[in-house]
Amino acid sequence: MSAPAAPAPGPASPPALPPPSTSAAVTRRRRFPRTAASLALGSAAVFVLAVASMFIGVSDVSLPSLLAGDPVAWQVFWVSRVPRTLSIILAGMALSVAGLIMQLMARNKFVEPGTVGTVESASLGILVVTVLLPGASMIMKMSTATLFAAAGTALFLLILRRLPMRNTLIVPLVGIMLGGVISAVTTFFAYRTDLLQTLNSWMVGDFSGVLRGRYELLWIVGILTVIGYLAADRFTVAGMGADFTTNLGLNYNRVMMLGLVIVSLISAVVVVSVGSIPFLGLIVPNLVSLMIGDNVRRAVPWVAVFGAGFVLACDIIGRTIRYPYEIPVGVIVSAIGSVLFLYLLLRKRAARG
Amino acid sequence: MKNTLKSRIVAGTALASLLALSACGAETAATAEEAPEPTNVTVEHAQGTTEVPVNPETVYTFDLGALDTMDALDVDVDGVPAANFPDSLSKFAGDDYTKIGSMKEPDFEAISEGAPDLIIISGRVAASYEELSKIAPTIDLSVDAADPMASFKEATGTLGRIFDKEEAADEKLAAIDKRIEETKTAAADAGTGLVVMTSGGEMTAYGAGSRFGIIHDVLGVTPVAEIKSEGKHGESVTAEYIATKNPDNLFVIDRDTAVGESGEAAVAVLDNELVNGTNAAKNDRITTLDANSWYLVGYGLTNVDSMVTEVQNGIS
Repeated sequence: MSAPAAPAPGPASPPALPPPSTSAAVTRRRRFPRTAASLALGSAAVFVLAVASMFIGVSDVSLPSLLAGDPVAWQVFWVSRVPRTLSIILAGMALSVAGLIMQLMARNKFVEPGTVGTVESASLGILVVTVLLPGASMIMKMSTATLFAAAGTALFLLILRRLPMRNTLIVPLVGIMLGGVISAVTTFFAYRTDLLQTLNSWMVGDFSGVLRGRYELLWIVGILTVIGYLAADRFTVAGMGADFTTNLGLNYNRVMMLGLVIVSLISAVVVVSVGSIPFLGLIVPNLVSLMIGDNVRRAVPWVAVFGAGFVLACDIIGRTIRYPYEIPVGVIVSAIGSVLFLYLLLRKRAARG
Repeated sequence: MKNTLKSRIVAGTALASLLALSACGAETAATAEEAPEPTNVTVEHAQGTTEVPVNPETVYTFDLGALDTMDALDVDVDGVPAANFPDSLSKFAGDDYTKIGSMKEPDFEAISEGAPDLIIISGRVAASYEELSKIAPTIDLSVDAADPMASFKEATGTLGRIFDKEEAADEKLAAIDKRIEETKTAAADAGTGLVVMTSGGEMTAYGAGSRFGIIHDVLGVTPVAEIKSEGKHGESVTAEYIATKNPDNLFVIDRDTAVGESGEAAVAVLDNELVNGTNAAKNDRITTLDANSWYLVGYGLTNVDSMVTEVQNGIS
């Protein structure tokens, strides 16, 4: 499933990198026609979920009440339902695409911002700004979080470059260790400043606080997702190394910097506004690559659609099983995500025999 | 050669420890004989029964409610956790008092070093009971959320017995009972109420029988909804939930303030189009409760009185 182990993949042309993957993905791919039609079908499914999401909630908002022009229903619809659904879609898309970009840059299928220290660094940033400047504005928190996230991610990529063997398992392991070190520092400072529980409530992704006027920052990550789509091929190339990239006429440092900024900004904005949603950037790109293969340009829209749908579904579950109360979406995504992740791992082993 | 040396050391150590053991035994026997009068009281508490010396000299408490009660009874307390003390207990924040850890994590070294005669704990450090008991007599004065007043009175009575201040405690309890009756009368006409805690921009609701259930269970404010939140944690709710339940009174506890983070204030979290449409907002019946007093201190003689006063002012 991952790119071949040899460092130089040879003759492939830039837009088609990495070369079509081996083993199980090939047989599986047949079942999914990779046409625009099936993507439209996927988008339609997400749309259905989005509509369902807009009619689930404590207040009485139903199609008849909206059609009848009930002012209270319309108010709840615009103030609470639409913003929540939009923020779920934006966050789901962006985190999944950020995961894909991370995987391209590290050339490894088992990394995502939550497993290489990006999210951990972002939360350290929020903690630092909270302690040093209590009452700091959203923008202030966000920019500090972004700076920290970028520093953490850059550190990971630096370590990766110095790693003698970039074996499939070593890379995520290094990421998890780095993330562990950073979150240990964060936990220590949170403990010393009595903010452990607050840290917890930031970190668990939760859309329950989303209302009009309180989610708009997430539009930034929507824009970043589009930029990520446009630049997707470049990240693949950059993942092949500095020399290879330069050979193809691209500025290696600039591409890496762009990827770094996109991933860090997405992680930071999402953590600041809704908290962290684990596993998402790992599972979604992997499932998509199982379904449609590794052509990056084609995969990005799928990753975005699938990510949005997955988070929507998880949030709907979290909102319904303990109705009228909620279970944070982060908890649901972790539960379902870990099962899917195990499936991915075991499936790979079975394919190897 | 080596072997003989080793065995000699072993024998020597064994002999020494034997001596030490017998000396210990002799000492305890002696104290027991020398003290015929009852200087101990037997205290039943949440985690068992403990023999506690009457008027213990050095007292450490993790429970700020107990601290509040002891302060009200003019009892000297020597060790407190490092916390954001409310104004009423602000003197304990200084260096005059041994800091025995945080609200949740005991600093075992500091406690051992201080050699207290009594340690009082409650929910947040209840799990450390065994370990603390090894250092000094430890009692767990957790207040039972299911029946807070009875359990508060029992805890107060216990402290009264330990410090020989039973009369003063009873007097203060009677005064509190009177205020509660007044508030109950006011609550009967005040309509429904909902208790919400905000933390990091998110909200949790608490119902009767919860840690903030005193508002419904004791003070008689009609709950706007049945919220089955047993224990310490409420149910995660949205602004929509509050708007739909439409309480006549909203009681808000800003957890971020209680832990010293002046982030997004509760007022800002609640100031939205949905909550502003509720009866509570329209009639100016949103009461921001003192977070330190409700979240950190809880059931103490002075504090319960001010908690009741806050609710009373809120609904009348």
